[in-house]
Amino acid sequence: MTSYTICVFTENTIGILNKITTIFTRRRINIESLTVSETERKGISRFTIVIRHESRDAVEKLVRQIRKIIEVLAVFGYLNEDIAYNEIALFKVSTPIGAKPLDIETINKAYKAWVVYWHLTYVIIQKTGTEEEIFEFFDYIKPHEILEFVRSGRVAVSKSPQTLVDYLPEAEWEYYQ
Amino acid sequence: MGFNENQTATIQGAEPVVSVAKPELINGSHAVIQSLIAEGVKTIFGYPGGAIMPVYDAIYDYQDQVNHILVRHEQGAAHAAEGFARITGEVGVCLVTSGPGATNLVTGIADAIIDSTPMVCIIGQVASHLLGTDAFQETDVMGITIPITKWNYQITNADEIPEIIAKAFYIAKSGRPGPVLIDITKDAQQKLMTKPFVHKKTEKLLSYHPRLAPKDEQLAAAAKLINQAKRPFLFVGHGVQISGAEQELIKFIEKTDIPAASTLLGLSSMSVDHPNYMGWLGMHGNYGTNVLTNQCDLIIAVGMRFDDRVTGDLSRYAKQAKVVHIEIDPAEIDKIVKADAPVVGDAKIALEMLLPLVNENNHEAWKAEFKKYDLIEDEKITQPELAPTTEKIKMAEVIRTLSDKTKGEAVIVADVGQHQMMTARYYQFKKPSSFITSGGLGTMGYALPASFGAKVGAPDREVVAMIGDGCFQMTIQELGTIAQSGLPVKIIILNNNFLGMVRQWQQLFHQKRYSFVELQNPDFITIAKGFGIDGHTCAKREDLHASLDTMLASDKPYLLEVLVEKEENVFPMVPTGACVADIRLE
Repeated sequence: MTSYTICVFTENTIGILNKITTIFTRRRINIESLTVSETERKGISRFTIVIRHESRDAVEKLVRQIRKIIEVLAVFGYLNEDIAYNEIALFKVSTPIGAKPLDIETINKAYKAWVVYWHLTYVIIQKTGTEEEIFEFFDYIKPHEILEFVRSGRVAVSKSPQTLVDYLPEAEWEYYQ
Repeated sequence: MGFNENQTATIQGAEPVVSVAKPELINGSHAVIQSLIAEGVKTIFGYPGGAIMPVYDAIYDYQDQVNHILVRHEQGAAHAAEGFARITGEVGVCLVTSGPGATNLVTGIADAIIDSTPMVCIIGQVASHLLGTDAFQETDVMGITIPITKWNYQITNADEIPEIIAKAFYIAKSGRPGPVLIDITKDAQQKLMTKPFVHKKTEKLLSYHPRLAPKDEQLAAAAKLINQAKRPFLFVGHGVQISGAEQELIKFIEKTDIPAASTLLGLSSMSVDHPNYMGWLGMHGNYGTNVLTNQCDLIIAVGMRFDDRVTGDLSRYAKQAKVVHIEIDPAEIDKIVKADAPVVGDAKIALEMLLPLVNENNHEAWKAEFKKYDLIEDEKITQPELAPTTEKIKMAEVIRTLSDKTKGEAVIVADVGQHQMMTARYYQFKKPSSFITSGGLGTMGYALPASFGAKVGAPDREVVAMIGDGCFQMTIQELGTIAQSGLPVKIIILNNNFLGMVRQWQQLFHQKRYSFVELQNPDFITIAKGFGIDGHTCAKREDLHASLDTMLASDKPYLLEVLVEKEENVFPMVPTGACVADIRLE
């Protein structure tokens, strides 16, 4: 199974998420993560969708089907090496009186994670990184008892020097249009 | 294209149509009808109900400009709009209410998307303040129809109506055509627009721009393969009719002398009399066209999508051949069959542009190979079907007799099943845009409503619906629409008292375990008479000619029931999972 990141640029209208996800559902492709926000251009949304699939061919077909949605302006499919990407995670970690104190120096310097909220009996730590880095930190902090953990979807931008404006929607996947 | 060029959804067209008849502000319902008129709509297939009543109130004022045909079930409206669209190439329009009105359309919308049929469905919806409250006749029509529409949109503000309807027509008809659904809340229909009504046709959209003219390098690559091929074979798809490429196709074929065969929805785009026309492709297609698919060295697929009913087992489908795929929908390229030379564009423009690039050629020997298979098929299947020695009438002889009597020039609307396959095999189409059937979805009950839709679109042509006894009972109530609107369609029921195609499969693949396929039918002629439609039952071969003559001579709707052999099978046949070359003759 290879991880693919699909970036979809759409008009920002009601129901567009539904129009996109139904294309995955029909082909029984599970969405591992999904992030949506408006881009630097007003009225244009950017979806970052991560899936795992064994067939690049199937992913290319999926990308073409997404492109058919009228509100979609452009779709790009990427392998991990094509993109810079990150996720953010928040950990609510128990720190009861008398327990082993957190090693803040290691958390900051070795794991590049930061405490963003202190409470008498717990702290909230923010960690940014790839999925692997976040789970490395997860394993490190686990002995302290994780009360709550949340991980965002992936955000990604292409490593290619071209900007969106330079692209035809089809450029990334050898598109036949 | 850059995202900063234009942030608006539509870029306005040339001459806007400004309402002059009613210069005062109009309400949403009048805007709906005036927008439809501005788009050139003359016929609407519809059914009123609570949430669409404001539009029905408005339409009352425009009866001199718009012909509203009252169907008996919303599914009938959808199929009638499809029949109209398929024969005219124009957008078919349906108007129905919310909830069950909308869900009854769903089968027809699904049919239209898979058969690339342009349609605009205008649906009433509960008032916007009631959305999401489970109000009376509220259904999430937007959610339901996302996977089966080319585009759908919900209007909650009367001011949006002209722009959205213009956009709907543009999307439905351009590129690869398809159904568009517009859901309009009742308050948007009732409220006055806050600005004067102006309808501007959409000519371009920011995020949707179908390619019409193929790229030069794609054409060059295709021409190179065509010029090198020794045994090229051209497939005529539905795209030929949609783009109106019939003449360009003939010019291309006559210059290159390439033999051609048709998909189900490509039928009638090329006359059966053309010396390069080799027949029909796929599961019940011809012997030679299927076998030689696996012996050609190049496939030139024009406006078709390699449906599984055409290809059979893909792992053994035309592996020896290179493929030129001319197709307007880029998502169809490589979807099923890998294209060596994809040509993305409109079929008519693509063939026009290809013509100067291809060499004149002669493929006599290659074409003759098809004839060898034709002789075998003729002897084993066609002749016995057309001149049977059995007592009961066979479907094939009914269809061929009709074909002869109408000189192959009628519009034939076939339903789904054995009679559909027999019609495709035995009607000898000589005129373009003459065959309408539900190909992709295989919707039983399609033909009766589609036939009167087609008759509205082509009032000067003879329209004959070929229907099985099972299919007929799925939309039988549309006899009422036909009677009330006085549309003189001719209806032939090929009655074998069976769901014939399912029975055939049960015979061939399920050891004759006939599971729920035998029908106890009503007296169809009495039913027709109840609707005020004349009819006749033909039970004997001697009566067949006279029965068909009476039907064709009638200037009114007419129902002819023909009692046919109970257990006929359609052959040739490529069974599911088999390879096209292993097509069975018995």
